[in-house]
Amino acid sequence: MKHRLIAGMLCTAVALWSSAVSASSPNSFPGSAEEHRLWLRAEEEERIINESGLLYDDPQLEAYLNGVARKLQPPDVLEKLPFQILVLKDPQLNAFAFPNGVIYVHTGILARMENEAQLATLLAHEMTHCTHRHALKAFRMLKDFQPANASEACTQDAPGRSANLQTLLGSTGAMAAITGYTRELETEADTVGFQLVVRAGYDLEEGAKLFVHLKEEIELYQIKEPFVFGTHPKVQERVENCKRFMELCHVKRGSGVKNGEAFLEQVHGVILENAHLELKAGRFQTARKGLEKYLALRPGDSRAYYLLGEICRQQGDRVRAKVMLGKAITLDPSNPDAHKAIGLIYYKGGDMGRARRFFETCLSLSPNLPDRAYIEAYLAECKKE
Amino acid sequence: MKKCSWLLLLLMTACASWLPVGGSYESPSHHFTVVLPEKWMKLRAEQDLLLSKDGPFLQYVLIQERPIDKPFGHTRKILRRGMLAHEAAQLIVDEISSDRSVYDFRVIQNRPARIHGHNGFELLFTHKNRDGLSFKTRYCGFIAGDWFYAVRYSATERYYFEKDIHTFEDILSSFELRDEQGMMNKDFAKAP
Repeated sequence: MKHRLIAGMLCTAVALWSSAVSASSPNSFPGSAEEHRLWLRAEEEERIINESGLLYDDPQLEAYLNGVARKLQPPDVLEKLPFQILVLKDPQLNAFAFPNGVIYVHTGILARMENEAQLATLLAHEMTHCTHRHALKAFRMLKDFQPANASEACTQDAPGRSANLQTLLGSTGAMAAITGYTRELETEADTVGFQLVVRAGYDLEEGAKLFVHLKEEIELYQIKEPFVFGTHPKVQERVENCKRFMELCHVKRGSGVKNGEAFLEQVHGVILENAHLELKAGRFQTARKGLEKYLALRPGDSRAYYLLGEICRQQGDRVRAKVMLGKAITLDPSNPDAHKAIGLIYYKGGDMGRARRFFETCLSLSPNLPDRAYIEAYLAECKKE
Repeated sequence: MKKCSWLLLLLMTACASWLPVGGSYESPSHHFTVVLPEKWMKLRAEQDLLLSKDGPFLQYVLIQERPIDKPFGHTRKILRRGMLAHEAAQLIVDEISSDRSVYDFRVIQNRPARIHGHNGFELLFTHKNRDGLSFKTRYCGFIAGDWFYAVRYSATERYYFEKDIHTFEDILSSFELRDEQGMMNKDFAKAP
């Protein structure tokens, strides 16, 4: 039944192929007082995010992302809804759009992508939330929400209450952008997004791989409710939807632009930054994969070997950690973090002589180290030996 | 941080109640005792001890104990026996900076500390909440046996942090583990 429903929606989308342009050619924005209020709320949310210290600041990358976004929409849409793509430092595979066309893409999902076609699929999906006024629709749905249901939702026991409150709050206009929309709206964003991707000449088969990345993430970290593209429909269903869309629209497999090299060149800094975030979050497996990907692009970067060494050290693999940190120091002898990390390994292993040497180099390279007091204490211990 | 947000949510939804405190306090687990300040209030909660004088949105002291093998909420990291205090401090920094409700997180100081005879750490950091209000936190932690203890003081950076920091120092210095014999040889690695 569920599959028939999705298939029906896809058929409708295909039947409306010719009207895709008009569907994404909206009237003026914001179109009503209600929508205007949503935009004001969105601007407030954006201000909070932009001042949070979480923005990944790379004007060249932003220019590239905005360039890809512009390829996906006709000029009249861009005139009415000037999109802006920004990057957030967050390892989770997520992206969200505010109704005024401001789209935030997490470093996590950018780092996992392989080419521009996958990026285009993500952006097209998020842009559709804006062009098709999904925030406004979600807001109106909330207004129609029956008070009886609302009161029921608020009288659950404590854990249930918290979840229901989140659902309730998450349904309100601009906030729905972050927490995800209903199944119907997400499916519409998928199908219209697929049309935009194909029309812009990108390889949609790559789009399906984006969902595969998400599926892997969910399985690896046993995530219950991934944010990206909302929770409905299920990720596997969406992979199937994408493939079915290609069949119904006779989209040739492997046809279209991928732009793998250009994409990776633009996002290489994001891959490294995100690996660092993954390491901080204890997501060692994805951090390592990200670093291997980065090293394929920048084989001589000491910072990547340092992070690989840190992953090994934090996982207790001292032998491999020493190899990686040694490489980091060979590539850049002025890397204080690598000296500190390898010093810690020797210190914990009781090799005070070597530990002392690395700690002393670390402090000479970075006299204002935030954790200097620990290193000084270790040095004092080393000198006692 | 997440735990505290949860407690604050409880407070807002009128599910929590506050009790006046003062004098000696023993944790429900019987693991530690601490002297609580007069004219402060304590949130009725089973595990963590949350204290405030003017309201937790302005200042609070939070005393937590957790099994070392219990994974943290915002990272997938766990504390381990034999960890240096330095490593545990970094883990706490990673945990807090991975909390999505913590904005503009900055570590001002990260140094070793002796907490009631245990090798521990002391962090001083600032962060902002969603509304842009700036908070300052002093976070002291150590491992004893199979437990991690954290005593922290967090308050709005403007006015309240300085106002009650001495009260926090009194609380911290009164903090004592009850079963010292069983704990003393099992805390953070001092030297290899």
